[in-house]
Amino acid sequence: MSYIVPIGPYHPALEEPIHAKLYTEGELIKDAEVFVGYNHRGIEKLATERNAIQTLVLVERVCGICSHSHALTYAMCVEQINGVEVPKRGEYIRVITAELERLHSHLLWLGVACHVIGHDSMFMHIWDERELVMDLLEELSGNRVNYAMVTIGGARRDINDELKAKLLKSLDKLKGPMDRIVEIALNDKTIALRTKGVGVLEKDVAVRLGAIGPHARASGVDVDVRRDSPYCSYGDFKFDIPVVQSGDVFARVVVRALECYESIKIIEQALNNLPDGPINLGNKLPKIQKGSAVCRHEAPRGQLTQMVVGNGGFNNYRVSIHVPSYKNTPTVPYMLRGNSVADAGLIIASIDPCFSCLDR
Amino acid sequence: MQAYKRIDITKDQVIPIAEKMRKAGVILTMIHGFLNEEGKLDISWEYQVEPVIESYHVVGETTLPSIGEIYDCAAAWPERELNELYGVEFEGLDTSKRLFLPEEMLETQGKGQIMVTPLEELRAKNIKEG
Repeated sequence: MSYIVPIGPYHPALEEPIHAKLYTEGELIKDAEVFVGYNHRGIEKLATERNAIQTLVLVERVCGICSHSHALTYAMCVEQINGVEVPKRGEYIRVITAELERLHSHLLWLGVACHVIGHDSMFMHIWDERELVMDLLEELSGNRVNYAMVTIGGARRDINDELKAKLLKSLDKLKGPMDRIVEIALNDKTIALRTKGVGVLEKDVAVRLGAIGPHARASGVDVDVRRDSPYCSYGDFKFDIPVVQSGDVFARVVVRALECYESIKIIEQALNNLPDGPINLGNKLPKIQKGSAVCRHEAPRGQLTQMVVGNGGFNNYRVSIHVPSYKNTPTVPYMLRGNSVADAGLIIASIDPCFSCLDR
Repeated sequence: MQAYKRIDITKDQVIPIAEKMRKAGVILTMIHGFLNEEGKLDISWEYQVEPVIESYHVVGETTLPSIGEIYDCAAAWPERELNELYGVEFEGLDTSKRLFLPEEMLETQGKGQIMVTPLEELRAKNIKEG
C-alpha cells in the first residue's frame, strides 16, 4: 500500500519546524519532499536599518547555538570592506570562543542523536559533560548563549591569567569523559545498529547537492574553510580535519565526535600562545565604507557565508546570510529514499539541522 | 583576511562559467543579490576557487538563466529565494512552490516586494491590516 506520511511542521520529534512529506510503500520511503520557511523573521531586511554594532546583536539572534559564528562572520565582512586589521590577541579570543561553540554544538548534537536512537542514558551522559563547556562559555563571555564576544575590530572581553588557567584545567578535565563518550559512540552495538548503512549520502551526490561541513566530511568530501581559506589566525594552529568515507549516519557521528578533540587541541594552542596586546581597536562606531565583501567561517554545522554591502553610511546597505543548513537540508530527501519510516527522524536529525538559521 | 575577487560578466556567460566550475569540482558557495543604489539588480554567483572566492556579477538584468541543472539544489534554492525576495526570473527554474515566504504574502503582495519596500512602509501596512 502507498501512503503519504506527513511529518511536521510542528511534531513532537522535531525541535524546530520543518515539514517533510514521505511517499511510502509500506514501511519503505520511496520519495520525500521537505518544506521550510516556518520561522522566517526577515533578519536580512531588519539589518538594512541597523548600524554595524546593532547588526552584531541582531545577527547573533539568527541562532542560539552558533550565535558567535554569525557575529564573527558579519564582523569579518565589515572589517574587510573597511580594510581593518584585527589585533592578534582579539583574533585568538575569537577562535577560542568559536571552538568552544563548536564543542558545545557537537556535544549537543551527539546527545540529541542518542536520544533519537533511543539511547537515553548516553544522551544524559553527553549533555552532562556539555554543561562543563557551557560553564566555560559563561565564564568567558558572561552568557550561556549569545556570547557577545565580537566587536568590529576585535573581541569585546579579554582573557586574564586566572581565566586562562581555569579554561585549560577544565578542558583537561573534559578529556577523560570525552574518551569515554567517543569509545561508546564508536563501539556501542545499539548505536551501530541504528546508524550504520542508514541515510547514506555518497560523495559525488554530496558535491552535486552542495553539502557542507561535518555532513560533507562524513561523505568523504574534504572541505573546511579553517584550512582552505584561513582567517582569524587559524593558520597558526595545528589540527586535523576528520574525513570519513561511508556517508551514513554513523559516519556523521564519528566525524563530529572526532572534531571535538580537534577543537580542544585548537583552544589549548590558542590559550598557551595567547599574544600580548590590545583585543580590539576601540569602541568608535564605524561607518561601513562603500563596497562589498563575502566572508566565510567554519561554523559547527559547516560553512557560514555572509555578504555585506556598504554605501559609506553607518547602516548596512545589504546583509545576506547563508547558513550551513541552507546547503545541507536539500540533501535530506535523497538520504531518506530507500530507508524505513522509523529512521526518518534520525536521518533528518543527522544533518544537525537548524531551521532557525535556515529561515533567518 | 579571506580573498575575494569581483568579476563582472554578462548573463550569457553565467552557464558556461557554471559548467566550467562544476567540471573542475569547484563548490558553488552561494548566489547573492541586492538592488543597487541606481535601482538595478546586482546578482552574484560565488564560487570557492580556494583560497579565493570568485564572485561573478550580472548587473541590471531581471531575467537570468538558471544553473539548477548544473548545480542541482545548491543553485536552485538560492535562485528560488531570489525569485521570492526580488522577483528575479530564472529561466527553467520551478517556482511553483514557496520556499521561505508565506503563501498568503506571496499572493497578496507578490514576489519581489519584501526586500525592495521600505521597512516603514511594511510596518505601516501591517498595522493598518491588523
